[in-house]
Amino acid sequence: MHELSMADAIVKTILDIAEKNDAEEIIEVTIELGKLTLLNPEQLKFMLEVISEDTLLDGAEFKMEIIPVEIECGSCNYTGSIDSDELDHFTPILSCPQCGERDLKVISGRECNIKQIKIEKRE
Amino acid sequence: MHKVAEIEVQHDIIIANKKLAKRNQRILDKADVFAIDVLGAIGSGKTSLIEVLIQRMNHKIGVIAGDVISKFDAGRFKKYNVPVVGLNTGKECHLDAHLVEHALEDLPLPAIDVLFIENVGNLICPVDFDLGSHLRMVVISVSEGDDTVEKHPLIFKDADVVVINKVDIADAVGADEEKMEADVLRLNPDVVVIKSSLKTGEGVENILQALEEYINESRLYIKESQR
Ligand SMILES: Nc1nc2c(ncn2[C@@H]2O[C@H](COP(=O)(O)OP(=O)(O)OP(=O)(O)O)[C@@H](O)[C@H]2O)c(=O)[nH]1
Ligand SMILES: [Mg+2]
Ligand SMILES: [Zn+2]
Repeated sequence: MHELSMADAIVKTILDIAEKNDAEEIIEVTIELGKLTLLNPEQLKFMLEVISEDTLLDGAEFKMEIIPVEIECGSCNYTGSIDSDELDHFTPILSCPQCGERDLKVISGRECNIKQIKIEKRE
Repeated sequence: MHKVAEIEVQHDIIIANKKLAKRNQRILDKADVFAIDVLGAIGSGKTSLIEVLIQRMNHKIGVIAGDVISKFDAGRFKKYNVPVVGLNTGKECHLDAHLVEHALEDLPLPAIDVLFIENVGNLICPVDFDLGSHLRMVVISVSEGDDTVEKHPLIFKDADVVVINKVDIADAVGADEEKMEADVLRLNPDVVVIKSSLKTGEGVENILQALEEYINESRLYIKESQR
C-alpha cells in the first residue's frame, strides 16, 4: 500500500500551509479518509508521525475522520450509503443494496483530504 | 502572546493529483500525443505487449517506463529506437501525475504520436492516481489465477481496455480465462476485453484494432474542440 507516499504528500502540504500562516507549532490535524481509498488509517497515522519528527508537526495530534461510501446506481436510481462494514478493506466489491447492480458511480468514499489544522502562532 | 488558530485547509491529495493529471493531458493534447497508461499485475506482460505494439503500430511511439528499483524495462524499450524515459519510482508503489509531468519534460513530444506509460506492476496502488493519459489499459494474465479480477475490482472499474494475457498457458496453470472475462464485464460492462497470448500472437490484432479506434475517436474529438 502507499501510506508512505501519501503521508509524505500530506506532511509537505501541511508544512507549507503552516509556514504561510506563521505557525510556531502545529497542534492538531484533521484528515478525512474515504473508506474506498485502500489506505489503512492506523498505518497512515503511524507514517505521519514518523515523517513529522523534527518538523513543525512533531507532536501534533492526527485526527482521522472516516468517510463512508456513497453510491449512485444507474440501474435502479438508488442514491445513498452502502453498508461498508461488509466491505473487506482489500477487496471492496460494491453492489447496489437495492438491486445488486455492480456498475455504480461512487459519490464519496475516495477522499484523502486535509480538512483542517490547528496551529499556535505569535500575536 | 501566543494564540491558537484553526485553519480550514480542504486540500485533497487525490484531487490535487487529478488536477495535475488534467494539466498533463492538456500538454499532451497540445502536442497531439495520445497517451496510454498500461497497468497490471507484476509480470503479466506489460512490457512484452508494449514491445509488440511498438513494432506493429504505424505511429511514432514514445515510452515512459516506471520501474520500482531498476531501469530494466526502460532498457528493453531502447532497443527499438524510440524515445524512452525511465522513472525510478523507488519507494513508490505507483506512478503519479507529478512524476509523469517531469517525464513529459524529458520527451520530444512533437516527435511522438502515441505515448505508452508503463505503470508499476501492482493492481491496487495505481487505482486512485490518474496520470493524464487518454486511455487506461489493464494487463493481467492467467498465471495470477482466475480469481484476480474478483480480488481487485477497483482497477477494472476505471479501465477502458482489459487484456487477459498468457492464454497459451491457461490449461497448464488451471485458470479459466472465460471466467476472468465474465468477471471484468460484470464490473464494467463498457470495457473492451481481449484475451491474448504474446507467445502465439493470439489477440494481438484485436488489441491493435481497439487501440486504433480509441486513437481515431480522440483525434476527432481534439479537432472539434479546437475549432
Ligand atoms: N507464456 C507466455 N508468457 C508470456 C506472455 N507474455 C509475456 N510472457 C512472459 O512473461 C514474463 C513477464 O513479461 P513482462 O513483459 O516482463 O511483464 P511485465 O508486466 O512488464 O512485468 P513487470 O514490469 O516486472 O511487472 C516474460 O518472461 C515474458 O516472456 C504470454 O502471452 N505467454
Ligand atoms: Mg515491465
Ligand atoms: Zn440499484
